[in-house]
Amino acid sequence: MTACIALVVIGPSQHMLDVILLSFMWAGLALAWNIAGGYAGLISLGHAAFFGIGAYTSSILTVKAGVTPWIGMWVGAVAAAVIGAILTLICARLRGPFFILSTLAAAEVVRIGALNWTSVTGGAEGLMILPTPSAMNMVFGSKTTYAMLMLIYMVVTYVVTKAIEGSRYGYYLFAIRDDEEAASAAGVNPLLARTGAMCTSAFLTAIGGSLFAQYFLFLDPTNVISPELSFQFALIPALGGLGTAIGPVLGAFVITPLSELLRSYFGGGAAGLHLAIYGAVLIIVMLYFPSGISGALMRHLTWKGDSAR
Amino acid sequence: MTVLLEVKNLTRIFGSLRAVNGVNFTIREGELVGLIGPNGAGKSTLYNLIAGAIRPTAGAIVLNGMEVTGWKPYRAAKAGVARTFQIPKPYRNLNVIDNVVVSALMHHRSVAEARAAAEGILVDFGLSDYLESPIGVLTVGLLKRLEVARAVALQPRLVLFDEIMAGLTPSEVRSMTSLVASLPGRGITVIWVEHVLYAIMNTVRRIMVMHRGQLIADDAPEKIAKDPTVIKAYFGEEMPVA
Repeated sequence: MTACIALVVIGPSQHMLDVILLSFMWAGLALAWNIAGGYAGLISLGHAAFFGIGAYTSSILTVKAGVTPWIGMWVGAVAAAVIGAILTLICARLRGPFFILSTLAAAEVVRIGALNWTSVTGGAEGLMILPTPSAMNMVFGSKTTYAMLMLIYMVVTYVVTKAIEGSRYGYYLFAIRDDEEAASAAGVNPLLARTGAMCTSAFLTAIGGSLFAQYFLFLDPTNVISPELSFQFALIPALGGLGTAIGPVLGAFVITPLSELLRSYFGGGAAGLHLAIYGAVLIIVMLYFPSGISGALMRHLTWKGDSAR
Repeated sequence: MTVLLEVKNLTRIFGSLRAVNGVNFTIREGELVGLIGPNGAGKSTLYNLIAGAIRPTAGAIVLNGMEVTGWKPYRAAKAGVARTFQIPKPYRNLNVIDNVVVSALMHHRSVAEARAAAEGILVDFGLSDYLESPIGVLTVGLLKRLEVARAVALQPRLVLFDEIMAGLTPSEVRSMTSLVASLPGRGITVIWVEHVLYAIMNTVRRIMVMHRGQLIADDAPEKIAKDPTVIKAYFGEEMPVA
């Protein structure tokens, strides 16, 4: 935490600050995804829908009704949580790949809806938030303030994750994820627990969506509800360590700088080369560290501890 | 003694198979009852019906005076029915104590209290050396013990054991038998499906026998061993010589 604040305050270059800020944001989003995907075993490839609902709700309220995003983001979060609950009640009876595909499809429905509901969302032309810096508008002149905002977002999602992990509810989620039949025989209502996890996850993801919109001040369906975005939400925790609180943070701080770095080195030359390298790195990490970066670190530390004895 | 479980005309049909066919019996509080029968007799289906994993086609289940027919497993569990699974179903990513904590949470307000209770049970079950061990290191015998420990941690009124002796060594069978025999003393009524007959015959005072979905005998172990219908169910009838 102190290290994170220090990172921001040291006064890095604007580009560095951008990378740090995005790392905070991705860490928060990956943590939010991990509550459903890692803790409850609800592997979702549709979280972009919640992100988009958050981004659009606060932005539309700001642009069309003059409501401050400080209020709008909660409205979006509640809307996303409700959609998450409905989605879980309908889709949680599906198992494994079928559940995953249903989330992917549900997000596409939201994306296509946003594309076509032009009167409200602006459709493919997108929605612009007027860049008038003021705390009330949640628009800031300096990137440092945004970085602090994203840092708070990351810390809040981390604290929520930790609170779930140590609670009765956390145990129930783990139990259902590992063996639904046994958990049910132990008095755990699987549907209720799953729905709660998805709601929490969707709520926090939507908050991230609102913050994203306030930082970029522009959104269209392809950049806030794309399947690529959904993959990224799932990929970061998978890389960092599923079902752990530190995993998504580690994952975000590896992936974000890596993709930014690759983009700036290779982005100008051969088009798409940076994405190819990015993909190759991901495959290698997944192959050699199946339990993620945090799992690999843990093993390394225990191994060191053992040999020291 | 008061009646804890009443099963009335319980029936479950799968397609054209009457897996459980009009079964009636009563279990009194504090009893330790064996349930035996050849493979496919309907014992596991009967368990699934009582524990709520499947719904009956007909009939009723009354627990402690309350009708619980068709209740979902988690509701049945809260009403006081615990069970083990024939093939142990541990939570693979949790360590041994956390597996028991999940169950202990039903009757303990905080995680810390549940953890203390879970530890106590694991010590009673001879698993004190494995509290923080991952599930992967447990042998079949220890997995079965963990399965029983999780059921007991629910502090149930009634527990349904499903072949908890299968795959155990003779000495493991002995220690498991004494554990099971101690449960009525903890206020837990036991129904016990077992193929390891010597373990069950010397421990229980009542045995129910199922065959082709029906209850064909319900008596003391010594009488069951001599019952011609039971012997016929297990060994078949003599071949008529033409």
